[in-house]
Amino acid sequence: MNDEEFLVGDHVPLPPIDADIFTTACDYCIVACGYKVYRWPVGRSGGSRAEENAFGVDFPRGPLQGRWISSNQHNIVSVDGKPHHVAIIADHDAQVVNVGGDHSIRGGTIAKKCYNPTSSTADRLKYPMLRVNGELQRISWDDAFEIMVAVSKHVIEKRGKQAWALKTYSYQYWENTYAITKLALRHVKTPAFAVHDQPTGHGSDTPGLSDAGIDPFSACYEDWKNADVLFMSGSDPFETKTIIFNDWIMLGIQRGMRVISVVPRKTAGVAHAEKNGGLYLEIIPGTDTVLHMALARYIIEQGWEDSDFLARYVNSRAEVDLEVFQADGFEGYKRWILSYKYAEMIRASEITGIPIEKIRLAARLLAEPNPDGSRKKTSFGLEKGNYWSNNYLNTASLASLGLLCGAGNRPSQVIARFGGHQRGMMPGGRYPIEEAPEKFPNRQRKAIDLDRWVEDGRASFAWVIGTTWLQAMTASERLRDRFLQLTRENPHQVRSAETKHAIETLIRRVDSGGMMVVDQDIYPIEPIGTQIADLVLPAASWGEENFSRANGERRIRLYPKFNDAPGEARPDWWIIASFGKRMGYRGFDWKDSNEIFEEAAWFGRRRRTSYWPLVWYARKKKNTTGHEFLRGLGTTGIQAPVRYEEGELVGTKRLHDSTLEPGTQHGLTGNDHQWLTDFRTETGRANLLKTPWEIFSDFYEFMKPTGDELWVTSGRINEFWQSGFDDLKRRPYLRQRWPENFVEIHPEDAEKRGIESGDRVVLESDRVPVQVGGFDHGDEARQGIVSLGHITMEEEPDLITQTIASPVERKRRGVDNQEAMTTDIEGDELLGYVDTQEIAGRRSAGARSSQDEASLEEIPTVATTGEYPDNVGDDVLGETSGLGIRWSDIEPLLFSSLQKNGHIELTRGSCEAIAIVTDAIRPGVAFSYFLVPGSAANSLAPRVLDPVSQRYRFKLGRGKIRRLGESQYKHDFTSMTFKSRAIT
Amino acid sequence: MKDVHSGEPMVFQYPVEDPYATNILVKLDEEAGGGVGEHKDIVAFNQLCTHMGGPLAGTYNKEHKVLGPCPFHLTTFDLTRHGMVISGHATESLPQVILEVDEGIIYATGIMGLLYGHAQIAGC
Repeated sequence: MNDEEFLVGDHVPLPPIDADIFTTACDYCIVACGYKVYRWPVGRSGGSRAEENAFGVDFPRGPLQGRWISSNQHNIVSVDGKPHHVAIIADHDAQVVNVGGDHSIRGGTIAKKCYNPTSSTADRLKYPMLRVNGELQRISWDDAFEIMVAVSKHVIEKRGKQAWALKTYSYQYWENTYAITKLALRHVKTPAFAVHDQPTGHGSDTPGLSDAGIDPFSACYEDWKNADVLFMSGSDPFETKTIIFNDWIMLGIQRGMRVISVVPRKTAGVAHAEKNGGLYLEIIPGTDTVLHMALARYIIEQGWEDSDFLARYVNSRAEVDLEVFQADGFEGYKRWILSYKYAEMIRASEITGIPIEKIRLAARLLAEPNPDGSRKKTSFGLEKGNYWSNNYLNTASLASLGLLCGAGNRPSQVIARFGGHQRGMMPGGRYPIEEAPEKFPNRQRKAIDLDRWVEDGRASFAWVIGTTWLQAMTASERLRDRFLQLTRENPHQVRSAETKHAIETLIRRVDSGGMMVVDQDIYPIEPIGTQIADLVLPAASWGEENFSRANGERRIRLYPKFNDAPGEARPDWWIIASFGKRMGYRGFDWKDSNEIFEEAAWFGRRRRTSYWPLVWYARKKKNTTGHEFLRGLGTTGIQAPVRYEEGELVGTKRLHDSTLEPGTQHGLTGNDHQWLTDFRTETGRANLLKTPWEIFSDFYEFMKPTGDELWVTSGRINEFWQSGFDDLKRRPYLRQRWPENFVEIHPEDAEKRGIESGDRVVLESDRVPVQVGGFDHGDEARQGIVSLGHITMEEEPDLITQTIASPVERKRRGVDNQEAMTTDIEGDELLGYVDTQEIAGRRSAGARSSQDEASLEEIPTVATTGEYPDNVGDDVLGETSGLGIRWSDIEPLLFSSLQKNGHIELTRGSCEAIAIVTDAIRPGVAFSYFLVPGSAANSLAPRVLDPVSQRYRFKLGRGKIRRLGESQYKHDFTSMTFKSRAIT
Repeated sequence: MKDVHSGEPMVFQYPVEDPYATNILVKLDEEAGGGVGEHKDIVAFNQLCTHMGGPLAGTYNKEHKVLGPCPFHLTTFDLTRHGMVISGHATESLPQVILEVDEGIIYATGIMGLLYGHAQIAGC
C-alpha cells in the first residue's frame, strides 16, 4: 500500500462540453445510488461558464444545485492507454433512489477507487503471480491456469470433489457470480463452497422471514418514507444505508413518521429520529427475540392486533404438526405466547435492559388503532444487529410481530431488510447437497461448514475470490494457524517458477495432506494473498468491465466499463471461464460479459431478481443486447422481477403486494410468480412462528460477560460500509479520519478502567468458543452425524434421493430419479426445477421426517405440484428453513449439546483499538469496527452456528478491555476525532 | 481580538464578498488545529456544508465545539480538528480560514480546501 498523505485540494478541473458521459451506480452498499462519470482526455478541461463545461452551468454552484465536483471526486485514469480525467459525481438527474443527486461519503469519494499509479491504488494486482521460495513472482496467465488445472484434476481424482474448495464473494456482479457458481457447483459439483459471510452455500440471511413467507427484499424505498411508524431493528440506516435514510426515512420523519430504533448504540439517524418523536430502545445485544415476544404479547393482551389482516392473510392452522416453530394460526400463536414465560413483560425488561414503560410505549406506537378505529401503517426494517446476533429466532420473532401489526403485503406496511451488499448473486448451479458428508440428527444432509472443513484438513485445493476468508467473518486464530500449517509450513514448497516443477511440488504437497491456495482479488490481501496463497490472480472490477446487478429494492442497472484495468488484470468471469475451458467443461465460451448476462437471465427467471423478459425484449423487439438495453435505462434501471405485460416491459415495485394487479403476460416471458401478490408459502398466506428462547439461551448465558468483561459488539460506520476493500486502506481522506480501529465505550465503564478518549486499548478474550470437528465416524453417536467415512467415497443413491424429499413425495411428483440431481443440466430448464424441488423438499415435513413414513402420509404436504413451483427464492444454495423441525432434531445441535460432546473449543482473540468514550453506547457494551485489517474485533466473536439456520452470531463478542497508554491521535489535530456521532 | 467572545460566532465573508464565501470566526475555549490567540482556540470556517451546500449558519454547538448537524442531511464537523467530518456524508473537511494575529487584530490570510460549489478558490 502506498501510504499517501491526504492533502486538501484547492481546485478541480471541469469537464469540457464534449466529455464522454456514462451513467452507473455506486459499487458499494445495497442502496446503489445513481452516478455519472464524466471523462475527458488530459490537456483540455472545460471552463467555469455554462458554455464551457459539460454540465452546461455557471460556477460557482449554489446549495442543492448539484453538478459540483469536490477534489475527492476527481481522478486521472487510463483509457486505451491514454491518460484521462474522470469526475464521478452523484447523478443530479436521478429520478429514483438518490433523487436529485444525494450521496454518501463512500460513493461520494468513489472516483478515488479508480486505478491511478500515483495514488494509493498503486498496489492493485496487475499480473498473475506464483509463490516461489516464499516470494510472489510474476508468471503468465497460461502458466497459472496450467498449474491450477493440473493440481485441480489431481485433487478431484485422488481426493474427491469435496477436497476442491471455493470461497467467494456473493455480491460482486451477476456475470461473475454466475460464472463462479456454474464452475464450482454445476461442473466441479463441490459441496466445499461458501460465500464470504456464510459458513456454507448461499442462503437466506433471514430464515425466520423466509419461513413466515416474507421475501427479505420485498419492500421498495418509498415504503420507508410513507409509513406512519417504522420499527428499525439492528441498524441505523444513516450509518450504513445512507441514502435510504437521507432521501426516504428522513423525509418520512419530516412528515410525522415515528421511528422506533432498536440498537445498543446511538448514532446520528437514531438521535435525529428520537428528537423528532421517535423512540430509542437501548437493547442489550442478542436479546431482540425477547423484546419482540414481549411486544407481541402486550399487543395481543390489549387487543391491538390487526384482526382483519390476520384473518385474511395469515394461515389459520399449522401446515405441519408437532414441530418447533409453526404456530397453529393466530389462535395457536396467541395461546402459546400468553403462556410463555419469556414473553412476560417483567422478565423481558430484565433480559433486554429496556424499561417496561418504553416497551409498552413502543407497542402502543406500533399497533394501537387510531381513535377513529383506523390503523396506522407500520413497517419493519431489519439488518445485521438483528440477524447476526440470533439468526433464526430474531428474524422469526420479528416476522410474527410484524404480521400481528398488519405488515408484510401492502404499501408502507412491509417487513424487509434494509440490506447489506447489493444483490449480486446469480446462481449458475445449485449447491450439491448430496455430496455433503454431514447430516442433521433427522438424517437430512447438512451443507459443509467450510471453515471447519478446512480446519479438519479436508480441503486440498482452496480458491478464494474477492474476500479475505481468514478475517471474514469470525477471524478465528485457529483457522489462520491451520491455513499456514497446510501451506507454508508444509515441506513441499515451490522453488522455481518452472511450471512442471510447480505442479509436481504442489501435487506432492496435496498428497502429503497439505493444501494449495489460490487468491483472486484486486489488491494484495493480508494474509491470504500476501503470505499464504501459492497463486495470486489479478481481477478487474467496477468501471473496468460491463457488469449488472440489483439494489435493495431489486433495481437493476448497468455498471459500465469506462477505464482500463491495470496490467493484465481480468474480470473474474474471464478467469473462471479460462480455467473451466481448460478443465474440459462445456459452456465457458463466452465472448463478453453480456453473453453471461443473457444466459443467466434464463436460469435466474424464477428468482426475485428475474430479468429474462428484459433480455427477450431487447433481443426480439429492440434488436440489441441485454446489456445495451440496460445501459439505455440509465440510473433509473428497472425493478425486478421484470415483467412483459400488454406489450410493455414493467418493473415490480414491491413483492407480496396485495394491491398489485398484474397484467396479461405473453409466451416465453411468463413471470407469474404467486408471490408478486401473495406471501411466499404454499397457501400464499403468511405463517406465524413461535420462537422458543431456549434454543438460544444456553449459548447466550455462556457468552454473557462476567467479571470485568463487556459485550464487544461490532459493526460498520458511515465512512466504511461495504466499501472496506477500497476505503480502509486507500482513501487518503478517510484514512486520516480513521487511521486505526476504534472502540466506543461508556463513560462508567471507561472510568473503571482508567480509559480516556484517544487512549490505545486492547480488547481480548481467552474464552472465544469455536465449533470444531463433526466429520468423523466417531462423531455420529455424539452429534447425530452420519459420516461418509472418507471424503473420496462415492455417493450412495439412496442418500441422494433422501435429500429431495420423502419417497411418498418423490413418487407423487414423479421425480424418483437419481438423474434429477446429478445430470448435466446444461442449457435446459432443469436447473430451476431441481432447485425448486430441493427447497420444496427441505421446507416440507417430508424431508425433515423422512424416516417416519407412516406419519408422513398424514402430514399435509407443503410441496408444490406444478412444473415450475413458485416458492424458490434466493435460497437455492444452502440450508435455511426451520419449518418441519422437531425438538429432537434441534437438541443435539444446541450449544450445550455441542459443548457436552466435545465440539466446542475455547480459543483466544484480541485486537487493539483507539478508545472513544461516549454515552452514546449503553453501559456494559463496547462497539468496535467489524473488519479492520490487523485489528479484527470479530476475532472476539464466537464461531458457533445457529442450530436451526447454521448461521454465525458475529455480533456477540465479549471480552476485557485494557488501557495500553495514550495513542498518537489523542493530542493530534489532523487525525481522528473523538466527538460523538449522535450530536443533534 | 477584544471583540471575540467565547462561544459566540462572528460572521465574515472571505476570500470574496459573496454569500457562498460566508464564514464564522469562533473562540472555542479548547485548543484547536490552526487556532490562534493565547489559547490557540480561535478558528474560522466556511459556512456551506461540503456535502451538498447546506447552510451551517446558526448550528455552532458550544458544548461539543462542532458545526452541524447540517439541516439538509445531518453532517457534523469538528472545529478542533480542521473541520474534519465527524459523522455524515461530506467528502471533504469544512474549509478552514487561515488566521494570523498582529497587534490584536485577526487577519484572514488564506483558506484550506475548496468552497462548496466552486471549481477553484476565487480570489486566492
